[in-house]
Amino acid sequence: MKGRLPLLELFLSALCLWAGWYHTPAGALVRTVGAWFFRTRTTARPLLAYFGAGTLVPPRPPPFLAAPVPPAQALAYGAAAVLESEPAEVVPRLRSFSRRLGSDDAALLALFCGEDAALYALDEARSSTLDDLARALPPRAEACVARAAQAAMLGETYALGWPLPETVRITSAFGAREHPILGGWRLHSGVDLGTAIGTPVHAVAAGVVRRASSDGINGRILVLDHGRGVVTTYCHNDALLVRNGQRVEKGQVIARSGDSGRTTGPHLHYQIDLAGEPVDPLRFRARRPKTGNGATD
Amino acid sequence: MRWNLHERAARIRWAFLPLGLCALAAVGAHAAADVVGDRVLWGVDRIDALFDALWSKWSFTAPLVELVGLTQRTWFARAVALIWELLADALVAVPLLGYGERDAAKEWQAGRDLLRRARSPLGLVRPLAALLLSLAGAFSVGRMVQGSLQLALHLSWLGHLARAAVLTGLAVLLVPRAVFRSLEHARTARFRLPAAVVLAPLLVAALLSLR
Repeated sequence: MKGRLPLLELFLSALCLWAGWYHTPAGALVRTVGAWFFRTRTTARPLLAYFGAGTLVPPRPPPFLAAPVPPAQALAYGAAAVLESEPAEVVPRLRSFSRRLGSDDAALLALFCGEDAALYALDEARSSTLDDLARALPPRAEACVARAAQAAMLGETYALGWPLPETVRITSAFGAREHPILGGWRLHSGVDLGTAIGTPVHAVAAGVVRRASSDGINGRILVLDHGRGVVTTYCHNDALLVRNGQRVEKGQVIARSGDSGRTTGPHLHYQIDLAGEPVDPLRFRARRPKTGNGATD
Repeated sequence: MRWNLHERAARIRWAFLPLGLCALAAVGAHAAADVVGDRVLWGVDRIDALFDALWSKWSFTAPLVELVGLTQRTWFARAVALIWELLADALVAVPLLGYGERDAAKEWQAGRDLLRRARSPLGLVRPLAALLLSLAGAFSVGRMVQGSLQLALHLSWLGHLARAAVLTGLAVLLVPRAVFRSLEHARTARFRLPAAVVLAPLLVAALLSLR
């Protein structure tokens, strides 16, 4: 193919180099090594951040709520938390985008990346989920996509229910504490709800069972994936009523609480993870269950 | 002036063509690895559940259960996808840097001979990977060009036109060269079976990423 269209070939090769250099982990690796070698700064992202179309950056924990979030406005509260503005300002804008674009995820994208970007993504993506919309956008939209994804995560979390009746007391809160069995200061990554063995545990939102297994520490454990980077975990159950890969609906009884695994007595360990990072479930609830002494893990 | 540019480009094509081929396959490998990434997370969850059940049996291994939480599982799944991608780069993209130009007719003839002389299906895995990853790369580059143009200039028709042009250009001018070079390299390449094991899932993922 010698001698044919060298300018076009040069142009196409340059496009490939641009895409490979800036938008693949291999390019980032070469840039990082080059920067280290020549002692310069690099704009390459961490290698693992090149996966998931930038939709898995954990959000900053929002402030505690003063009043309950109306379920229909949960997404707007999430967007307001990321924008650091008042939900009342975001609600009409988000509603208007949602009406025009026909999808909540596209509305969030429009709010953070502009309506043109959202319309383009809707045209090009396979589905209207934020992950697919994000993959359709060019890489320069990454920063605004990450913010939209954080808003979606927070919004999804504001809409979550509670796994046990509100009257059940919290026996150990989220945060650093002295471990009741092992001793020493450790992060308690969820809240412990002191309840009798056999109490029905409800799914806090619709989702897919990502893990239904048993071990000597967490006991019978359930992990639900609700999408948008939100995952909830339920540990120390007496019985699991769903299996791996099963789809569950909000409010469905998914387990019976118990004291399996390493515990001081019957309770449910309930945990929320956003993009893989545990957050305090009480940050997303205006009505907080009472606290008291009781079983923990 | 036009001919000057033409000649200058022709003079440095020995350098930019191999680099372009390598980058094209690397972009395709990333598109495929991104598809694999989500599936890997589910696999990692299953394996972690098995290990948790095992470690929690003895008190001295029990701390290992808490060592790997959801954060670590997500990180680990992405790391697996990254390593997979880098292995595919090493097996398919890097050898394309050895591309040496020859006459078009001779190149086609040599390609056909190499294909005829391929002794086992294992020897064809790398060329097949070069074909699918380069195609996935061409689709990715086309999408990036379209998105960048359309969102910058707000001209939908121009974006679509540029995407089609880039995709056609890459499919006609660069993808066949990547396959030819891969056929050349596959004759002497070692570790055929491990390479096939690494590349087979990525081939499916590359097909899924074509759009």
